[in-house]
Amino acid sequence: MIKNYFKIAWRNLWKNKAYSLINIGGLTAGIAVALLIGLWVSYQYSYDKFLPNYGQSYQVRRNFNSNGDTLTFSTTSLKLADALRNGYPEIEYVAEADENRAHGLAVGDTKLSLDGIQAGSDFLKIFRFPFLQGNANGLRDPYSIIITESTAKALFGNKDAMNQLIKVDNKDNLKVTGIIKDIPSNSSLQFNYIIPFSYFEIADPGVKEARNQSFGSNGFVLYAKLKDGIKYKQIAPKIKNLEKYEDNLNAKNSDVIMQPIQDWHLYNTYTNGKALGGFINYVRTFSIIGILVLVIACINFVNLTTARSEKRAREVGIRKAIGSKRKQLIVQFLTESILITFIALFFALLLVQLVLPSFRLLTGNSITIPFNRFYFWLIVTGAAFATAILAGSRPAFYLSSFNPVQVLKGTLKTASGAIFSRKALVVIQFSCSIALIISTVIIYQQIQYAKNRPTGYTLNRLVTTITNSDLRRNMDALKNDLLQSGAVSSLTTASSPATGVWWHSDVENFPGKNTGETVEMGTILVSADYFKTLGMQLKAGHDFVNDIKADSNSVILNEAAVKRLRLKEPLGQYITKFGRRMTIIGVVKDALMDSPFQSADPTMFFFDGGSNIIYRLSPNINTHQAIDKIAAIFNKYSPAYQYTYHFVDEDYNKKFNLEVLVGKLAGIFAGLAIFISCLGLFGLAAYVAEQRTKEIGVRKVLGATVTQVWILLSKDFIVLVIVSCIIASPIALYFLQNWLYKYAYRISIGPEVFVLSAIAAIIITLATISFQAIKAAIANPVKSLRSE
Amino acid sequence: MLSLQHISKYYQAGGNKNYVINDISLDVDEGEFVSIMGPSGSGKSTLLNIIGMLDEPSEGYHYFVNEAVHQLKEKKRAALYKQYIGFVFQAYHLIDELTVYENIETPLIYQDVKGSERKAMVADMLDRFQIVGKKDLFPAQLSGGQQQLVGIARALIAKPKLILADEPTGNLNSKQGEEIMELFSKLNKEDGVTIIQVTHSEKNAEYGSRIINLLDGRIESSRKF
Ligand SMILES: Nc1ncnc2c1ncn2[C@@H]1O[C@H](COP(=O)(O)OP(=O)(O)O)[C@@H](O)[C@H]1O
Ligand SMILES: [Mg+2]
Repeated sequence: MIKNYFKIAWRNLWKNKAYSLINIGGLTAGIAVALLIGLWVSYQYSYDKFLPNYGQSYQVRRNFNSNGDTLTFSTTSLKLADALRNGYPEIEYVAEADENRAHGLAVGDTKLSLDGIQAGSDFLKIFRFPFLQGNANGLRDPYSIIITESTAKALFGNKDAMNQLIKVDNKDNLKVTGIIKDIPSNSSLQFNYIIPFSYFEIADPGVKEARNQSFGSNGFVLYAKLKDGIKYKQIAPKIKNLEKYEDNLNAKNSDVIMQPIQDWHLYNTYTNGKALGGFINYVRTFSIIGILVLVIACINFVNLTTARSEKRAREVGIRKAIGSKRKQLIVQFLTESILITFIALFFALLLVQLVLPSFRLLTGNSITIPFNRFYFWLIVTGAAFATAILAGSRPAFYLSSFNPVQVLKGTLKTASGAIFSRKALVVIQFSCSIALIISTVIIYQQIQYAKNRPTGYTLNRLVTTITNSDLRRNMDALKNDLLQSGAVSSLTTASSPATGVWWHSDVENFPGKNTGETVEMGTILVSADYFKTLGMQLKAGHDFVNDIKADSNSVILNEAAVKRLRLKEPLGQYITKFGRRMTIIGVVKDALMDSPFQSADPTMFFFDGGSNIIYRLSPNINTHQAIDKIAAIFNKYSPAYQYTYHFVDEDYNKKFNLEVLVGKLAGIFAGLAIFISCLGLFGLAAYVAEQRTKEIGVRKVLGATVTQVWILLSKDFIVLVIVSCIIASPIALYFLQNWLYKYAYRISIGPEVFVLSAIAAIIITLATISFQAIKAAIANPVKSLRSE
Repeated sequence: MLSLQHISKYYQAGGNKNYVINDISLDVDEGEFVSIMGPSGSGKSTLLNIIGMLDEPSEGYHYFVNEAVHQLKEKKRAALYKQYIGFVFQAYHLIDELTVYENIETPLIYQDVKGSERKAMVADMLDRFQIVGKKDLFPAQLSGGQQQLVGIARALIAKPKLILADEPTGNLNSKQGEEIMELFSKLNKEDGVTIIQVTHSEKNAEYGSRIINLLDGRIESSRKF
C-alpha cells in the first residue's frame, strides 16, 4: 500500500516537472534558511557548554546605584575576591583575573605579542578547560604559565613545550606547567595563555597595593564556582550587601551579584541591574525569521497544490467512484508532500553544506553540520515531517473533500473560500518578505547614519601601539626618533586608545554637587600633544602646557562632561579628583571614542600619559614604508618585543560589526524570503493564466491589446502586494522603532522607506508574473477558442 | 469589402505540408450575406479566422477595405479589426465572471468609449434584443439561445461593418436558430451589415445571398441568389 502511494506520488512529481521544480525549489530554499538559522542559533546556545560542570560557574559583578539608576559593572576589587573566598562555605573557588590583553612572549629568537590573561590559581578549577599536559594546579607557582596548544606550537614549534621557559614582557622567565587544548570559538573566555595572578602581583606593584585596598578599588574581573548542589538563590542575599559597611561611596552604592556562565553570551546587556536581554534578542529575532521563511515556503506548496486541485479533481472523483475512502486519499496526498519535503531536505542539506564556508566567514562562527549526531537527524527529520504535514494537510483535506458526482459531471467550481484563503496566504508571504526588506533598509540606513556621524577626531592614518616597560623607559627618545624619521607627524600616549574609554571614575567634588550625588565619568590620562595628534578641537581655554608641575593640577573636560557637571562657566573652576583640586583649563569638543551609536561619553583628561602610544602617519608617505620605518625604530628601543600596531579607523569600524552582521543576515533572509514568495507567485500566475486562457482569448477577439491582458492578469496580484505593504509597514515600523530605541544616535524613520519598499515589491512582483501574463497575452486566441 | 487572392494555409506534419486552406480566392462586397458550408474539417473555421485576421494565411494576398492585410503590422491590423469586425462563436464564449451587461460592454471598453456613452449603447442593445431583464445575470444562468443573443449583442455593440459568425446556431434548437437567422437578415437588410457565417444547416444557409461550399480546403461550388 505504502509502496503504491509512493509510486503514484513519484509519478505525479515526474509528470508535472515545472510545478514540482517550483515546489521543491521553494521548499529547498526555505528549509536551507531554517537549517542555517537553526545551526546558528544552536551555536549561540552552545557557548561555554563544552566546559565540564559549567553550570556552577559565575562571574561576580556589581550593581551600582548611580543617583537612582542602576548600572552594572564587571570590575571588582581584590578585597571582594578575598571576602568571597574566605567568608562563604557555599563558594568552592574564587579566581581574580584581568582582561584579556597583549603581552610579549619570547623564546630564544621567537618574539610574539599575544593576548592572554592573568588569573588566580583556581581559575582552571572553575573553568575546566581540557588539558593536553599538566593539570589545574599549574598556576600555583607564580613563575609558571599555562599555554594553549597553538601558542606552544608558535613558540616552540614541534618541540615539547612542557617545563620550558618563556620570557614574559622581557622580564621574568615563566615555566610552562600546562598545555591546554585551543579555546573553541564558542567560548566566552578567550586567551592564548594564563599567567598566575600571583605573578601579576609581583610584576606590577600597583596590583600588589590593590590587594590591600578597599572595596571601592575596582579594576579586576572576578569568577566564582559554587559548591555542587548550591543554588545561586541561596547565596545571593548573603553577598548582596557585602560591601555596604565600608565608608566609601563606591562600595556603599554597590550590590554584589553573580551571573551564571550560561547567561554570559546571550544575556550580556544589563538594564536596571538585571540581565534580561542582549544578544538573545537577535537570536530570538532570527529564530522567528527562520520559521517565517519556512512558513513562506510551505505556503507556496499549499497554494500551488490547491490551485491545481481542479486538475486533479478528476482523479479524486474517479478514485472515489471506484471505492477509495477519503482517508486513503488524504494519505495519498500527504505522501506526496512528504516525498517533496524530503527531496527538498536533501537538496537543502547539500545547499547549506555548500554555503557554510561563506556563512562562517560572514558570522565569524565555526558552525558545522553535525552529520554524525543522532539528535541532529532526529530534529531534522522530525522538523521535515512537521513541515510536510503543515504544507500538505490543507491540500490533502481540500482535495479529498470533492464530491465525485459533481467532479465527473464537470459542475464543480472552485469555492470562493478557497480562492480567498489562497489570497490571504499570499498576503502573509508578502507581508513577511516586505517587512524584512523594510528592516534591511532601515538597518543599513542606521549603520550609514552612524558611520557618517562626525567623530570629533580624525581617524585616518592614526595608529596605536601598546607600550611595554622598555618603551616606557625610552619614550622621549622613541618619540624624537619617530618624529625625526618623517614617518610620524605627531605622537602622544594615553591611558585609553582612541577608540575606547578604559576607565570610568568618580568626580569627588565639583561646584554645585548635590549631597550623595555620584558622577562617573570617562577618565583618560594623556601626555603632550594628545589633542593635536588625535585631531580633537579645543572649544575654549588651552591645552596642557607640557610641564609636569603646572599640568598636574589641571583638567580638560569635553563638552559632554561640562554638561554632566552642569557648569555654566567651566574655565577656571575647580573639581576634586585624586584627592587634589584641579583647575579646568580647557574644554574640547566631544569625540566619539566609545559607541558611535550613543551620545558622546562625558570625559575628563588629565596630564600623565598611559600605555597606548597613539601616533599619526605623515600625510605624504606611503603607509607600508611608514610602518617599516616605524617598526625599525620600535625594534631599536624594545628589541625583546614584537612590534604590533592597530589602525584606529579599523578599530573604529569594528564598532559596527554587530550591526553590519545583523544587516547582512537580514538582507540575505529578506532576499530569500522574497525569492521564495516570488517562486510561488510565478507558479500561481502560470496557473491563473492557464485557467483563464479561454477568457483571454475571448477578450483578445473583442479587441483587448496585449497590454490590457497583461494588466488584467497582473492586477489581482498587485492588489495583494499592496495589501501586504499596508500590513507589513506598521509591523516593521513597530519592531524597528523598538530596535532603534537602544541607539541614542538614530535615524528617524520617514515614509520614503515604506514607499520605496512598496515600489520595489511591486516591481519584483510584476517582473515575476509578467512572464506568464505576457505569454498568455500574446498567445494566439484562435488556439484557445478552438477547443469547443 | 474584402478580397482573398490565392490564400493557402498549411500545417507542417512530419515532412509534408498539410493544407487546410488550398489556394482560395474570394471577393465579398459590402452588404453581402455569405454562408459557408462544408463537412467538418474542411477548413471553414480556418477561413473565417483568416478573414477575421485572427489567423494568418501561409501564402496569398489578403485585402480588407482596401488595405493589404498581409503587409500590415500587428498593431494596424488590430486597429482595423476593432473598427470593422464583430465575431460570433458557436460556443458563445461569454466571459463567465462577467454579467450580461458587462459582457456586452467589454468591446467598448477596449475601444476607449467613454463611460456615459457606453451606458447608452449597452442599454440600447439590451433593449433591441429584449434582454433588459437579464442584464445582471451571469452566462451560466441563461439558456443557450439567450447566451447566443448576448454573444451577438456583444459582436454588434461596436457597430461593426462585418459580422463573422462560426456556426452561431450550432448549439441551439431549430426555433432558437431561426430567431438568430431572422436577426441576421434584418441586420443585413436594414443596417447594411456585411455577414459571413459558417453553418451546417441548408435552411439557415439560405438566409444568405450567397452559399460557398468548401471541401478539403478548396471552394467546391459557389451559388448566388
Ligand atoms: N494547429 C493545427 N495544427 C494542425 N492541424 C490543424 C491545426 N488547426 C486546425 N487544424 C486542422 O485543420 C483542419 C480544418 O479545421 P477547421 O478550419 O476548424 O475545420 P472546420 O471548421 O471546417 O470543421 C482540420 O482537419 C484540423 O484538424
Ligand atoms: Mg469549425
